[in-house]
Amino acid sequence: MTMRQDLPPPADRDPARIFEYQRAETWADAVELLGIWDDEAKILAGGQSLVPMLNLRLTYPGALIDVNPIPAAEPRVEDGRLVIDANTRHRAVAAAPAVRAHAPMLAHAVSFVGNVRVRNRGTFGGSLAHADPTAEIAAVALATGGDIVVLGPGGERTIPVDDFFVTYLTTALEPGDVVTGARLRTAENARWGFHEVVRRYSDFATVSVSALARPTGGRPDLRLVLGGVADRPVVVDRELLGPALDAPGDPVRARESAEAIAASLDPATDLHATAGYRRRLVAVHTRRLLQRVLGDEGGAA
Amino acid sequence: MIRTQVTLRVNGDDREVWVRNDRTLLDVLHDDLGMPDVRYGCAEGVCGTCTVLMDGEPVSACTLYAVQAEAHEIVTLHGWSDPRREPHPLQTCFLERGAAQCGFCTAGMLLTAATMAERDPDAGREEIRHELVGNLCRCTGYQAIVDAVEDYLHADGGDA
Amino acid sequence: MTIVEPTEAFDPDAESGPQEREKDFRVVGRSPAHHDFVNKVRGTLLYAADWSLPGMIHGRLVRADRASARIAGIDTTAAERLEGVVCVLTAEDVPYNAIVEHASGGLGEVIVEQPVLAADRVRYVGEPVAIVAAADPETAAEAADLVEVAYEPLPGVFSAEDALKPDAPRVHDESQDNVLINWRFVRGDVDAAFADADVVIENTYRSQHVDHAYLETEAGVGWIENDVVTLRVSTQVIEHAAEVAAILGLPQSQVRVIASYMGGGFGGKEDMTVEPYIALLVSRTRRPVRMIWSRQESIQASTKRHPFTMRYRTAATKDGVITGIEADIIGDAGAYPTLSARVLFAGGALSIGPYRVPAVRVRSRAVFTNNVPSSAFRGFGAMQVTFPYESQMDALAKELGMGREEVRDLNHIEKGDLTAAGEPVTTAVLVRETRERALEMLGEPSRPGGPGKVVGRGFASGMQPYGRSIWFRDQAAAWVTLQADGTLLIRSGVTDLGAGQAASLCQIASEILGVPLADISVYIGDTALTPPAGGTFATRQLYMSGNAILRAARKLRDRLAPVAAKELGVPEDALVWADGMVRAASGETGISLPELVRAAGTARVDTSVLNTFHARSGVFDPEAGQGHTFPDYTFGTHAAEVEVDTDTGDVRVLKYAACHDVGRAINPVRVQGQIIGAAAQGLGYALTEDCAAEDGQPMSSLFADYLIPTAMDLPDISVAFLESGEGRGPLNARGIGEPPIGPPAATVASAIEDAIGVRPQALPITPERVLDLLEGGRS
Repeated sequence: MTMRQDLPPPADRDPARIFEYQRAETWADAVELLGIWDDEAKILAGGQSLVPMLNLRLTYPGALIDVNPIPAAEPRVEDGRLVIDANTRHRAVAAAPAVRAHAPMLAHAVSFVGNVRVRNRGTFGGSLAHADPTAEIAAVALATGGDIVVLGPGGERTIPVDDFFVTYLTTALEPGDVVTGARLRTAENARWGFHEVVRRYSDFATVSVSALARPTGGRPDLRLVLGGVADRPVVVDRELLGPALDAPGDPVRARESAEAIAASLDPATDLHATAGYRRRLVAVHTRRLLQRVLGDEGGAA
Repeated sequence: MIRTQVTLRVNGDDREVWVRNDRTLLDVLHDDLGMPDVRYGCAEGVCGTCTVLMDGEPVSACTLYAVQAEAHEIVTLHGWSDPRREPHPLQTCFLERGAAQCGFCTAGMLLTAATMAERDPDAGREEIRHELVGNLCRCTGYQAIVDAVEDYLHADGGDA
Repeated sequence: MTIVEPTEAFDPDAESGPQEREKDFRVVGRSPAHHDFVNKVRGTLLYAADWSLPGMIHGRLVRADRASARIAGIDTTAAERLEGVVCVLTAEDVPYNAIVEHASGGLGEVIVEQPVLAADRVRYVGEPVAIVAAADPETAAEAADLVEVAYEPLPGVFSAEDALKPDAPRVHDESQDNVLINWRFVRGDVDAAFADADVVIENTYRSQHVDHAYLETEAGVGWIENDVVTLRVSTQVIEHAAEVAAILGLPQSQVRVIASYMGGGFGGKEDMTVEPYIALLVSRTRRPVRMIWSRQESIQASTKRHPFTMRYRTAATKDGVITGIEADIIGDAGAYPTLSARVLFAGGALSIGPYRVPAVRVRSRAVFTNNVPSSAFRGFGAMQVTFPYESQMDALAKELGMGREEVRDLNHIEKGDLTAAGEPVTTAVLVRETRERALEMLGEPSRPGGPGKVVGRGFASGMQPYGRSIWFRDQAAAWVTLQADGTLLIRSGVTDLGAGQAASLCQIASEILGVPLADISVYIGDTALTPPAGGTFATRQLYMSGNAILRAARKLRDRLAPVAAKELGVPEDALVWADGMVRAASGETGISLPELVRAAGTARVDTSVLNTFHARSGVFDPEAGQGHTFPDYTFGTHAAEVEVDTDTGDVRVLKYAACHDVGRAINPVRVQGQIIGAAAQGLGYALTEDCAAEDGQPMSSLFADYLIPTAMDLPDISVAFLESGEGRGPLNARGIGEPPIGPPAATVASAIEDAIGVRPQALPITPERVLDLLEGGRS
């Protein structure tokens, strides 16, 4: 039990840091509570990312606003859009007939989110709002297209999914906003493919590739999204897809696109992969996916 | 220290506890209610040793606050299979296959597998492995566990 | 399983084999589910963290957040002010602030004392600096954050190779060159062998830090009972009670350690973990104390497997006969000695593998760095060297254009051939037989799953000692008591890792005495109440305590036999002990065990036997680098088929098979469990696991980032075991806990080389490394 006078004073912090716990019964409640707590509160949805961070003492919110009491309706089609409420658990997303019919890529990709316990608790809206650049749901939503439905102090509005993911763990939500759901474009008879590379089964993706090709009269309307290669999921520039679209299913042209796409990226190096290897993974899996999705080998991959 | 009173429904009984807001369901079950069948393993939701059923589905007790668990039905291994009674047939399969070594993961494995068996009684080996992917085991290499679940699912007349 | 007829020359530890009347096994060779196992499946077993006592407080360590620094001061006032905090202890509160390991047995290592709490300097990230106790774990964690430690940075060294450089910073003043110990194994004329060689194969192989990642983190509870500081902890070694007593400045009579059934150990609970910290808090506060290391602490700061750098040179004739091996093995000991001297001894002693090598020159050094301390981990040095010695065999085969099996058949040892230390192997060597079986189990070759994918096959054999280095003069005691109602009480100081250490004792006693398993109770792991058995490590407990219980049970049987014979009116050797009865062989008469105990009481024959088994002993000469090393070895071979994606370097293990000679399987299901479990751990080591750090700072301490295999990452593993009937364990069993973790890395590397034509030489074999090999290594 030593005490030295020449030491700097203990850090200026309040020792008994226990968050206030607030339950929201409606999204309007949640918005109101966020307003009351100013910047101090965090929304507690499925808690599969937030609670571990709190357990490990990595973040200290003044309050948690638990939105779990807010009910979620079954995913459904309204006005030609697939509507998924924010509080829909991953398990329910994967099982919902409307999702399977109108967003088969989402139903497929959700089965790779975490493990069974994460899928039982984690929510669709929570995943979108968390904005992890490697997350499956964010990438697939971006490839699918549509709007994020947001409730804020000024009422309800929508944000195009293309504008939603800003940077690492950051979205276009304003302070006081909550995600209440999404209205996604339906897949119709689009062809799609989703592939994620993991070092170990069920982990966050080192790199993910999602592709959705909607038939048009001529060249398909192709959206390709990459996860794990930047501070947010990235929609690939259409020009880079040109060669692959010019000759659907042609391995040489698919490679040309894939390699141009890989070269355009500046991914990070981390514990699980170097930047160079991430580029390589993008080149390989993009090429394979482009061939499958644009070629004649069947619709879903 | 501010504490909140919560009433938890655990294994069919109402249990009253006073908790800090940051007390996880895991700590309440293990430390406050004295349940050794729910165990700390990582506090990240990764390993599965604290698996319990909430409203019938497996969840990580370490990623839930006790204050969140009110009005939900919580079932631990002992609620699913009372140790004072005969073992559940799935447990018998575990015993026959040697599907536990150190035993630390076993409660979570059983609850996860049992839920799957109810939902998907025709699950094959690959589906069993996929379902158990979030329950880590460092002793068995999973094989005996997968064997045991397979035995249980495919047993003639097994009451799955 | 396959029964192999014992070879004639086998001369076992005479009394370890089955006696004539014991050959018809009833219990041994079967796989009953035992008490602890039932409790685990029912969820009723109480692990270390499951103990709770009235008024219990919670301990938490303050750990260094840098790898090399001088401690300028520690301010505990903010922590102590926090409501609920009971005390904060620092180095000056420790009566004797040192853990002294003589891990080599005093054969020449530098003596370095590891502080219980760092006093003036920290040497690795995670080193304990202070202990906090509080009313609840959350408060203890908050208080630990509030302890302010002022550091002045010191230079550090973060790889063993850097630490050996002349100008490297010194980790300890006691070692001028950062070398903890330098083992030599030398015999034959190595220079001549290399001068005369037709071919010389030279390669350098590297392995990584690996975490044990048992699901139960380090944990325990302590209290004072009868004035004795009592600890109930998850440990492999209750004998650390002596070190705890020294730290507290108490006689050994005032410290008691009880081992709970562990939620996994794998060597990581062989050194002390929570013991001294709980003991200090109990001693200071006189209150019950619990301490559980968080998963992240465990990943950051618990001991790891030693990374080895292994430079190998192999000399051979053009016909493929090995004439010499020279190896230089460097192990990263980390910041403190722990068990590094022994690990590097095992690495050196086993460095040539199961091969006949006339000339050997091996150097094996443990080197201090500012990394997390490395220590025991299943396989204990002998597993790391499997990767190079088997890789060298494949390389030799490739160089000479010979088959991989052919080149091994020219060189593998037989019984009587010498180890690197010059000691003959004394039991059956079924290297070839296990290999043939393992390869056969792979079945028909698979076809690649798509374009850009290639499939390859490989195998690796290994040998792993069971039992401690024999100069330690190992011993273990077991105590059996036949009680009035015919039930049997077994007491043994053994600790149970989950591999059935306690259950095996019951099975052996049941076999000899005929007491049904349900009528046997076993009490283990208590320094106060069970006879000392030594720790559970080095695959020694079946060998040591198994032999102790075998002999104890036989002594009891032989002592009671005259009583039974007299009661039944038959000769002693005509008695059959089974099913809770002693019967005449003719089956006409019998006496129940309760009746026998009563008769023994009348005859004044004691029904309790305490027996100590002494292992073989011998001498190793560290100067000459020759002498006795280990009691015996377990041999085996693994084989794998892998698919490599040549575009991404991704490796998928399609098939895996393992075969070991276990001498005799006491419990086949447990033997199979050990083989599959070790193979799975070995596959994690081969492909994904790595405690990556930058300048001693872990890149992550999350369990999410430490990649032990999940149920989807492993193939089904085919297992066979051979029973040679030769082994030094009870009834000629060999140890099997560690041996199956050696071959997987070399097996996978061998299969990858078969697929892509280039040999991985660094672990783990990540996709990125495979891709580098594909793109740089193609000739």
